[in-house]
Amino acid sequence: MTLQIGYVHLIIVGAFVVAAWLLATYLSPRLMLLPYKRGILNQGIENGPIPVNTLYVQSAELFVNPFTALPAGSSKLLSYGTNRDTLYVVGWVDLSKGPQVLTVPDMGGRYYSVQLTDPSKNTNFSYVGTRTTGSAAGTYLITGPGWTGQVPSGMRQISSPNGAVLVAGRVFVQDYADAPAAYGMAAQVTLAPLAG
Amino acid sequence: MSRTYRYIVIAVGAVCLYFLVRLLFFTDLTTRNVPSDVFQGILVGAGLALVTAQLYGRTKVKKINGWTTAIGAGASDSGMFLRAANSWAFPGPIAVAEEATYWRTGSDGAGHTLNGSHRYVLHFPPGQLPPTDAFWSLTMGDGQNRYVPNPLDRYHVGNHSGLVPNTDGSVDIYLQSSAPLGHEANWLPAPAGDFILWLRVYIPGAAILDGTYAVPPVTKVDGS
Repeated sequence: MTLQIGYVHLIIVGAFVVAAWLLATYLSPRLMLLPYKRGILNQGIENGPIPVNTLYVQSAELFVNPFTALPAGSSKLLSYGTNRDTLYVVGWVDLSKGPQVLTVPDMGGRYYSVQLTDPSKNTNFSYVGTRTTGSAAGTYLITGPGWTGQVPSGMRQISSPNGAVLVAGRVFVQDYADAPAAYGMAAQVTLAPLAG
Repeated sequence: MSRTYRYIVIAVGAVCLYFLVRLLFFTDLTTRNVPSDVFQGILVGAGLALVTAQLYGRTKVKKINGWTTAIGAGASDSGMFLRAANSWAFPGPIAVAEEATYWRTGSDGAGHTLNGSHRYVLHFPPGQLPPTDAFWSLTMGDGQNRYVPNPLDRYHVGNHSGLVPNTDGSVDIYLQSSAPLGHEANWLPAPAGDFILWLRVYIPGAAILDGTYAVPPVTKVDGS
């Protein structure tokens, strides 16, 4: 009898080890992206928090001088993973109240990408940009799971597997002198709710 | 992976293993109670998740000439364990390989830590610059992946920075703290201490995606 009670404990521990192992593995990407969600929505980078469904564009000044002191309380997201190639465009999208329209300008051959990441898995479900959609201007309707509306003409639909989307855009900067021009293009990458 | 981080992971793994071995072979199981079964089970399971993500990540990292790159990062078809491994290796929204492939190194081809007290060359043989449909760049950071100010205000070089090829068409990039006389255009200034390098190729060519392209090693040239 005592032997059997002992084995019950072994089974309970074993079951919780396996369950916690699988759950923690499954949740890891989501947990590791929480600082990004907080960095975007609560802290911001240069000008305070970045409201949901808007895009922050890294300033030319910050790009040219990476030693620029950021305002107190700012997220340090852009100071990690040194990158001198592109300006960042960053935002957090919530599709629960309806689709968002992503507008990109004619980049005139300048390399760019707008990466759409599923924050529950940290995988990228779609790209808009040089590689995937070319350099021309375009409007894209980002829709959440289960959305059944009509896609307006002239828009291309991008179906998100998740109601939340992490947007990470990258716009090529040739050199320091080119940074303001790159910013001018990057600032034309915008989000807006679907009208009507 | 930083050394501290590696030690933490090893310690977590050791504690989990110790707990399981002790539980299986050296515990009078009848003295246990259900609340601690649950609590310790969850802790050990979470610890094992951390360790297995690292171990699995290591099998997925591709190493060539001291450079490391990850396979399948950010890809929407990656499975649960690969997603976990990548999320620990790259805390952030990393690009898929087709959009941009990154290699990182903190050591030369011989395996020694890169340090600004030495002089190094990254030599691309003729025709062996990274194949790309967009651009590539080589970026330097210190041991903590931060920029270090230098007189040129130069933190990266690439196919758009005016690198001067040698007469045979090969390209040398000079990685050192003092200016290489006559090769300033190909100089990426190094800080005084340890440093790391990122090679980024945006819209990489087929030879990168199919794994046939080999990034050349960083070679120490001052002999000591």
